[in-house]
Amino acid sequence: MPPTNSAQDEDTTSPQTSFSRQTSRVRNFFSVPAPVKTLFNSVPILTYPPNELPQRAPKSTRIPILYVFSTKEDAAAGRPSFNPSCLKWQAFLNIVGINHRLASSNNHASPTGSLPFLLPASTSSNASPDGVKPITSNKLIKYAKDHGAVIEEPTNMRHEAYQSLLDHRIRSAWLYTLYLEPKNFSSVAYPLYISSISSNPLVRASISYQLRAAAEAELLKHSSIIDTDDLYSEADKAFEALSILLGNDPWFFGHEKPTLFDASIFAYTQLLLDENMEWKERKLCRALRRRENLVQHRERLLVRYFGGP
Amino acid sequence: MSAVFLGRFGTWVNNTKSSSRECDDELEMASPVDQGDDLFESLRKTDEKKLEEKVKALAEKEAAYNEKAKERLMDLIGSNSTLPVTISSIRLIGAKHTRRSFLDRLFNPILSANRDAPYTLSEALEQVGSAADRLRKFDIYHEGISMFIDRPSPTDPSSTPTDIDVYLQARERGRISLKTGTDLGNVEGSAYGELHWRNIFGGAESLNLNASAGTRTRSAYQATFDTPILSDPDKRVSIDALSSSTLKPWASHEEALKGAGAKYSWATKSGTTHQVGYTGIWRQVTGLAANASPSVRNDAGDSAKSSISHTWVADRRNHPFIPTRGYLMKTVSEIAGWGPLQGDVAFWKSEIETSGAIPIPIPGIKGDSGVSFTAGLRAGMLYPLPLGFTASSQPSRINDRFQLGGPTDVRGFKIGGLGPRDGTDALGGDIFAAGSANLLIPFPRVGKDTPLRLQLFANAGRLLALKDRGGNTQRSVSSTIAQLGDGLPSMAAGFGAVYAHPVARFELNFSLPLVMRRGEEARKGLQFGVGINFL
Repeated sequence: MPPTNSAQDEDTTSPQTSFSRQTSRVRNFFSVPAPVKTLFNSVPILTYPPNELPQRAPKSTRIPILYVFSTKEDAAAGRPSFNPSCLKWQAFLNIVGINHRLASSNNHASPTGSLPFLLPASTSSNASPDGVKPITSNKLIKYAKDHGAVIEEPTNMRHEAYQSLLDHRIRSAWLYTLYLEPKNFSSVAYPLYISSISSNPLVRASISYQLRAAAEAELLKHSSIIDTDDLYSEADKAFEALSILLGNDPWFFGHEKPTLFDASIFAYTQLLLDENMEWKERKLCRALRRRENLVQHRERLLVRYFGGP
Repeated sequence: MSAVFLGRFGTWVNNTKSSSRECDDELEMASPVDQGDDLFESLRKTDEKKLEEKVKALAEKEAAYNEKAKERLMDLIGSNSTLPVTISSIRLIGAKHTRRSFLDRLFNPILSANRDAPYTLSEALEQVGSAADRLRKFDIYHEGISMFIDRPSPTDPSSTPTDIDVYLQARERGRISLKTGTDLGNVEGSAYGELHWRNIFGGAESLNLNASAGTRTRSAYQATFDTPILSDPDKRVSIDALSSSTLKPWASHEEALKGAGAKYSWATKSGTTHQVGYTGIWRQVTGLAANASPSVRNDAGDSAKSSISHTWVADRRNHPFIPTRGYLMKTVSEIAGWGPLQGDVAFWKSEIETSGAIPIPIPGIKGDSGVSFTAGLRAGMLYPLPLGFTASSQPSRINDRFQLGGPTDVRGFKIGGLGPRDGTDALGGDIFAAGSANLLIPFPRVGKDTPLRLQLFANAGRLLALKDRGGNTQRSVSSTIAQLGDGLPSMAAGFGAVYAHPVARFELNFSLPLVMRRGEEARKGLQFGVGINFL
């Protein structure tokens, strides 16, 4: 096999060299002639130090910054974000001990179009002409491993099944209760997501409409109609299953330290049980409060990794 | 005044014309007749030449008669210029869709019934001529509005001996026109479709709907409703709505705009134009590139701007693209978000542009040598103000800051090549000043009558961001302005060719940057520029 391969290579190299000869001839034709090149190398005659950046430009830091949905004050204090996907990764980074700061942001800033994303620290080692590359949420685990975190891989086969409970049943109920329940939308979603974007009422009305339409479209992806009782009862059953799974252990699946799965659960339990959120339609909150061990799980994480309620 | 015929004298001109044709028939009968078979062929051959000659002679005679008629009419008007006349009626023929009230406001002041003193003939013709000029400016009639004057019949009891009737004849333009084509703006090409609906309610109101897509503006939709005020073409009110999405590769993002505004524009007698308007716009910085810098990520998202702006232009150059004489002055001022305006951003933004051209006489060449020297200066400032009725002002956003650099701006630098930069992103600045000096020389073999010129230029600019002086806006603005003179401005010089097409000015320059700041992006070598408004 190897001799025939090399014979093949020899056959293909000769046309390649003539092709590369032709391309180099074309390149030489378009390249800058030598005297002009020496002229180009001698300008500019005088180079000053770079211009100062405007005031809104963030100062370069040694600590990575996680961009999440948050208010400016909460971000400065390190308090939990009010968005489940942001809070999941915020809790995860706190659990694995990656020191980071928060910055309040919106979806347009993200490379993927959704928060959160992490901007690594700008140290001299990774200073490149392109600047620091943002780390999106799907690459955060790898980033944490690269920076010395010890992460336990999920070994339990039932992990996938319970993760899907969270991603579908609980998430759908969350979307409905936050965006499509009128009382909750005006008391929770509007001040958090919409008022902070702009002060103009027309802009706010347009964004509210877009947000509710997006939530409805997301719910209609999984079923042809939106049945509120069905959604709440499915979420209740999911909470029950998670409660049984946790049992009397401090962390899920009997691990000694919390894992990404604990952070995912915390993302929803924290937001549903937090009094500051001011939920008006509390059906989902009541369903969760009935499961005592989930409430304690949330308090445990809150005290350990967020400095208490 | 395109054509003026006085009733009686019109017929006299016609009589003289018909007599010339009788003479020509006699000439034809007197032409020689050849004998034999060659007769037919000789007639055929010479016929063409003689026909041409006859046509030429006829045309020359007509031209000569028209010249003489014009001279006679001028003499007539001249000698009768102080003849007292009263304008008893003005009729506009051919304007089916124009509103009566609209025309009334235009013509009522001219009618003698509304004036105490009678006109002289020359005054009357002047007044009607200026009214016809105003009609032309509305752009609802085809070119060539002709004016006729006649005396009303003396048997009409309502007429006085000095009465004249004025007839204006115009042809209305089509009310709806649909245009598609390509457009050239400053360093951008686009394709557009436009619907223009003229004279909607009979008072020269127009509605313009425009949809375009271009190299930089991914999509833009605009609707403008425009109407003159009080039948005066120089005073216009317009209402517009806009939705566009523009790529800004020099700052790694795309800006989506949705907004509406109302504007009032007027022109003074000396030719300067003013425009005052209110605009409310929702801006969205979105579609960030993968390598966008943290500063741009910080400014991503939505903001609403509510502002009042004023534009003043005085253009006294003899040519918009290769001026040899005159000057241009333009100021644009905008105040946003202050007091009752609300919105998300608040600032006072002011930009001034001046340019002048002088011809350079060359010893040894008589008259206009075609060589001219033009110089231009642009400066601008963005002064942050407290939003609404709050007390403290916020720093500026990337949507509002100025950009400097480019083939139509400071040549020799890339678009947005000057000013503060984070990585490869041009963040823009709050205060800038730029100047340029160009020498335009006609090409030696081609001459000065073509729109082609050789250009030698040197230009410089400086774009700075406001310094942080602990919230004291006045100190930060004054210290930033002082920094403009700190060291040499970034400059480039070179030479190239300029072509002034009626649509735009095209330039191809070879330039080298001489002074730069680290991070600023210069373009060494050839640079091509297309635009309307060059520095």
